Amino acid sequence: MTNFKPLLIGEIQRMKKYNILGASLVVSLLWIGVMYFTKIDDVTSLFPLLVYFEAISMSMLMIGVTMFFEKQEGVIKTLLVSPISKTEYIMAKTFSNIVSNLITFFLLYGYARIFKEVDINILWFTLSIILIAFFHSLIGFILTYYSKDFTNLLIGMMKYIFVLMIPVSLQDLGFIKSEVFNKVLYILPTKASMILLEGSSGGGVEKWKIYFSIAYLVLASILIYIVVSKKFDEFAIKESGV
Amino acid sequence: MFKVNDLTFKYPKNKENTIKGISFEIKEGEIFGLLGPSGVGKSTTQKILTKLLKDYTGEVTYKEKRLKEYNKEFYQEIGVGFEMPVHFSKLTAEENLSFFKKLYKSQADTDELLKRVGLYEDKDKKVNEFSKGMKTRLNFVRALINNPKILFLDEPTNGLDPKNARIIKNIIKEFKQDGGTVLLTSHLMNDVDELCDRVAFMANGKIAEIDTPKNLKLKHGQRRVEIEYDDKEVVKDSFDLDNLGGNDEFINIVKTKKIITIHSKETTLDDIFIKVTGVVKHD
Repeated sequence: MTNFKPLLIGEIQRMKKYNILGASLVVSLLWIGVMYFTKIDDVTSLFPLLVYFEAISMSMLMIGVTMFFEKQEGVIKTLLVSPISKTEYIMAKTFSNIVSNLITFFLLYGYARIFKEVDINILWFTLSIILIAFFHSLIGFILTYYSKDFTNLLIGMMKYIFVLMIPVSLQDLGFIKSEVFNKVLYILPTKASMILLEGSSGGGVEKWKIYFSIAYLVLASILIYIVVSKKFDEFAIKESGV
Repeated sequence: MFKVNDLTFKYPKNKENTIKGISFEIKEGEIFGLLGPSGVGKSTTQKILTKLLKDYTGEVTYKEKRLKEYNKEFYQEIGVGFEMPVHFSKLTAEENLSFFKKLYKSQADTDELLKRVGLYEDKDKKVNEFSKGMKTRLNFVRALINNPKILFLDEPTNGLDPKNARIIKNIIKEFKQDGGTVLLTSHLMNDVDELCDRVAFMANGKIAEIDTPKNLKLKHGQRRVEIEYDDKEVVKDSFDLDNLGGNDEFINIVKTKKIITIHSKETTLDDIFIKVTGVVKHD
């Protein structure tokens, strides 16, 4: 018997009740505001950058938020003695996060289609978001495991944003032109994420870069999942009150 | 049902073992009390029995099979009632129970349980509007939602008024009558005395005593009777309980003096707790 479905439905229901989905919608309104105040009519080149920030940061944050609520309210204790596997628990959180990311994406896309011009491959974009949100949700687990409290989690997230996200976006916006630096960025998962999003928006990305990015994120997700799963036992012991 | 043999456990960051080679058995259909002051290993033992801690040495079997060989399906058979609140505070009681219920193959009639514990009228209230006692009762219902075969209860009546505590104790007794097994942890020795078939007192990671409450009271009590009577001034005296009827001095006092108080010196589980564990109990 798999309990993935009730766990996933429960996660989405709680994201609604705890206003996490609401907060996510407010953030998407901010991105809509960015598009609104941009004087460019064709937002095709801006769109991947907005989704890049949204998918990565919200994926990490929302895992942390939901897990801290569970810790704070002691619910994690009762979940640990329920007939669910750690895979089901991790996957339910990750997929509910993906659902939230897709809702935001379709909202942004809807606005861009109605009020601006945008030309992206929706299917590819959707698949890219799924992969990016999946990987970064797992990063959210790691950050939560090592954070004593929510402030600590935010600090961890800020470090990730400054060290891994900002350099990629600066390079994407053309502020950094060094070839060497550009090549170094390929070691970052955020670079792979950006390539996938740009590739989905017809940004003239070479095919090998897209294949490389898919392979990178899939392999990195597998590796990170192994770590998340292994560390979950330590987390469980700690959260059971020891 | 559970057999624990030479169980030892050490937390990775600790120098000393928390559990030091304990052995005991929880028989099917009994209420077994695990007692002792904080920090002696009760919770750790319970966590091992609920498969939360795995790196132990010694052997723990459940229904003749090693506990380590069970997967998540083990949790289909057990119910765990926590002392502290364990519910989503922004969800109603009904929403909480409905979420947890879906995780189990066997599902109890939660409306009936909520009625029994007096929470049915409040089932559509958010849990953050509940009082401490209501949360305790909801925890208890949560433990029963899967019709478990074994219940692990940690202070199930903590924070409850006598009426609600009585309801909970009655449900525990009914659970046992229906063939259920209970592992109970409580500091309320009256509850333990009333409910438990056998109790184990833990001290410093070991089991200091294990027996029925009655046998423990006989073992640790004094077979004496204490009497206070008026003989121009208040006089206290004490007599051996054995052959009391043949004790002329005692009979004479009873016949001729005004008795102020008279008590047999049988001990209580509270006294045994302090004596066996060497710690004054903090409720």
